[in-house]
Amino acid sequence: MIASCSRALQSLHVEVNGAPWFAALGEPLTDNVRALAADYGGTDGVTYVRSWREAEDFLKSSATSLEWWDHEEDLRKRLLAEAEAKYPGQALWTALTDLTTEAGDLVHGKAAAAAASLGGAQPASIHVAAGAASQAIYQLAVARLAGAEQSPFENKFRLFVAGRWPLGISGAGLVLF
Amino acid sequence: MTDLVVKTVEELKKAPEEYRDAVAKLVISHAVNELYGAQVFDEPAIAYAPTPYAKWLTCRVAMEEYGHHVRFKGLGTQMGIPEERMMPGSGKKPLSIFEFPLKTWEEFVAIKLLADLAEILQVEDLLHCTFHPLRNLARATMPEERFHAQFGEDFSAELVKTPDGKARLQAAVNEYWPYLPKFFGGSKSKNNEIFRKWKIKQRTNDEMREDFVRRATEVAAKYGLTLPKVAQAA
Repeated sequence: MIASCSRALQSLHVEVNGAPWFAALGEPLTDNVRALAADYGGTDGVTYVRSWREAEDFLKSSATSLEWWDHEEDLRKRLLAEAEAKYPGQALWTALTDLTTEAGDLVHGKAAAAAASLGGAQPASIHVAAGAASQAIYQLAVARLAGAEQSPFENKFRLFVAGRWPLGISGAGLVLF
Repeated sequence: MTDLVVKTVEELKKAPEEYRDAVAKLVISHAVNELYGAQVFDEPAIAYAPTPYAKWLTCRVAMEEYGHHVRFKGLGTQMGIPEERMMPGSGKKPLSIFEFPLKTWEEFVAIKLLADLAEILQVEDLLHCTFHPLRNLARATMPEERFHAQFGEDFSAELVKTPDGKARLQAAVNEYWPYLPKFFGGSKSKNNEIFRKWKIKQRTNDEMREDFVRRATEVAAKYGLTLPKVAQAA
């Protein structure tokens, strides 16, 4: 059963390994990224920050809403319950842990490379970026194991695959780095 | 004392039974406790983190702790230890601190500040382990453990900026500190004697505990925190 659970995540492994994580941080938004962001955020308001400093300020601000976070958590928990109904707990847990452990190391390295390239990042922010990307991978893995093909986690992952980092939703809409 | 050095898992098969059992106990202990820590503290802390920055940083810390479990379990599997013995509920009694579910962000910060320092000492003691696969694993894990303790320091620095934040952090320290010196085991531990005989570990439990209390007192003082007095011998 562990094997069947891992098999279900095989294509995600390939996508994770082939993605240019954090390669387009701070760049102007392309039409493709705007469309993905609008779908993911459920809003036409899409803005972006240009530097690690701006990203850090946005993420550390107590004024930044956590509503979108809570909304995603609710969805993740619901999808996880659906996945747990399909796969035995141990198989599911092992497959998710193995995926996120492997992917976590990969995206951590990519975040460090992006921080070195752009400059100005606090050392802890590399861990934050890796945490965000790992979470997106984990959320998508849960959605796919639950059989939810149209979840918002697909578009969130696509934004990361486009080299961006969706930071969150503020009053002005979705903010990307 | 012996001069045995075991460079590979394959070589371990030819090592004396006492050595093999001792190494297995350590690997099981680390695999189980890393997983307990991730499940009981790190993952639930994500919900308590006050900003997206803190939440994603905590996500990364949780994943690294799960990753440590995966690494120790991986080594244990190579050594032939059944997977179920390296999971919580396998019969090995968890450390008492894991019996208390996390309730606040300040508790998590206190745990990272102090409990992860205890973890650093445990990993430090394996950096010169005679079983090289375990030594190498400890060396790979150490930078992440240091980062987790730094996480505790960084957020402690944030919390103590306000009297209210400092009071809440001090309350969390008061609550968790009494459990931490026990991490290092009994003063007359037979296991520790065997670990040192084979140079799998280097120091007695009491030496490590004293060092921990000294370092924890120093780090707490950096943030104007105090540690309550507790009976230190387990």
